[in-house]
Amino acid sequence: MNVNARFLTNRIAQQCAYKRIVTFSTKPTEQSAAAAVPQQQQQQQHDAVAPPVRKPIVPAHYRFVYPEFLPDPKVEWRNSIREKLERLDMLNRRRQIELPEFYVGSILAVTSSDPHAAGKTSRFVGICIHRERCGLRARFILRNVIDHQGIEIVYELYDPTIQKVEVLRLEKRLDDSLFYLRDALPEFSTFDEHMEAETLEEGTPVPINELKVVLRPRPWLERWERQNLRGVANIDQYLKDKHRKSSEKVQKPWEKYDLMKQYRATIPEEEQKEIFAEVHTELHTLELQRKRNKRKRTFVKPKHLA
Amino acid sequence: MNQADVSKLMSQLRIAVRSNKRNLKNPDGPEGRLLKLRKTVTALVKHERIELFYNRADEARGYAELLISNAIRHGDRHKATMELADYWLLEKQLVHKLFKVLVPRYENYNVSYTRMFKAPRDYPGIYYRKSVLELRGNPYPVLTQDNSQNRNLLHNVLLDEARKEFRREKLASLANKLAAETEETPKPTVEKATEV
Repeated sequence: MNVNARFLTNRIAQQCAYKRIVTFSTKPTEQSAAAAVPQQQQQQQHDAVAPPVRKPIVPAHYRFVYPEFLPDPKVEWRNSIREKLERLDMLNRRRQIELPEFYVGSILAVTSSDPHAAGKTSRFVGICIHRERCGLRARFILRNVIDHQGIEIVYELYDPTIQKVEVLRLEKRLDDSLFYLRDALPEFSTFDEHMEAETLEEGTPVPINELKVVLRPRPWLERWERQNLRGVANIDQYLKDKHRKSSEKVQKPWEKYDLMKQYRATIPEEEQKEIFAEVHTELHTLELQRKRNKRKRTFVKPKHLA
Repeated sequence: MNQADVSKLMSQLRIAVRSNKRNLKNPDGPEGRLLKLRKTVTALVKHERIELFYNRADEARGYAELLISNAIRHGDRHKATMELADYWLLEKQLVHKLFKVLVPRYENYNVSYTRMFKAPRDYPGIYYRKSVLELRGNPYPVLTQDNSQNRNLLHNVLLDEARKEFRREKLASLANKLAAETEETPKPTVEKATEV
């Protein structure tokens, strides 16, 4: 039998070419594990035919709608327990107040408690020019021009003093942050305080406003010519040759190929799925509730004008 | 507390990733660093096993892994992935190898696509650590020691014991057989002996 077994293993080894064989191993070897996967897939296909397995389906757009649920990708600052607790706190806050979907370029109205205001609340309408930070510290900047004076207010999204966040116009702009509105003509960041909310039909993708703003002449707050802005119309008219040369010098065209840099700036897909699977059901029920409430609110008696 | 970049979606690496990059010594700055790494990634895809300094191998490994995982994820019809492959593989025939050889090979893997080993450095040579970087499933003989024949491994101990028991049983049955044979024939010889 001894001889027989040896002969057999030899035969198997010949068949498998250079694959290593470990007799009696509880753990699958790397290659056998890799080979085992297609079998599993076949099994899954069989399963799909007979009993459909239900899984939490997280929509792909969640990472754009709720970016603050994704943690900071900086490894030194990661802490899985803190992140989880923060997510719970964020959900708790979202149960109290509606924090709608919005993007940089959307026009918002934020009502917040203010001890110095007349009715103890102040309402500010403006365009969102920047979104930053994550978790409970997520914040955004609103900008408007009031009495010929540019005003910007930084709101923390999960600040308990915020009473109401309304999206008056849901849209995106061509750039990821609109700090150049500070150097643009004031009409591009002037919005009516009594603006009515515009409704989008359900299921339509968020429109991108391809408006190009007109910058005022130098001096500017930043060197906009170096930032490859798409939403600026007249930048060329203020550039001299020295500006063009210096902006060419600081360009980094290789960064779009720097895969590891991108990897270190993102949360990998598997991790995102885990995070959103955790909060998806809660967020989804909240969304449905809000929708129902909105439908109720639509049957309000029309206002008596004049 | 920065927001994670959501515009790109990448699959998780199956290797340990450092929290920050190494600046490989280079007069051309970050672009030159990437050129160095492109050369390494090209060589890795071409030769499937290369020996080089540890730091450069460790940096290049992540890029090779991501290149392969992107190729698996998007396939060769995806324009951005094709551009990536065109950038990272300096020899263009290797683009075909990436999509036609490596992608089918690694499609169903649930471990990393590359392996890295520490290699000895020659004394008194340059003091940089050396390493061997290889693609999994390459045609060369394995670098790791084959410990499956180690006498002290449990399965080998059990096999040995089984063999011993088998031998013991065989000997016992042989002895029984001999005893049975001797019981049948001995009477005449004994009688003869008594006669003498």
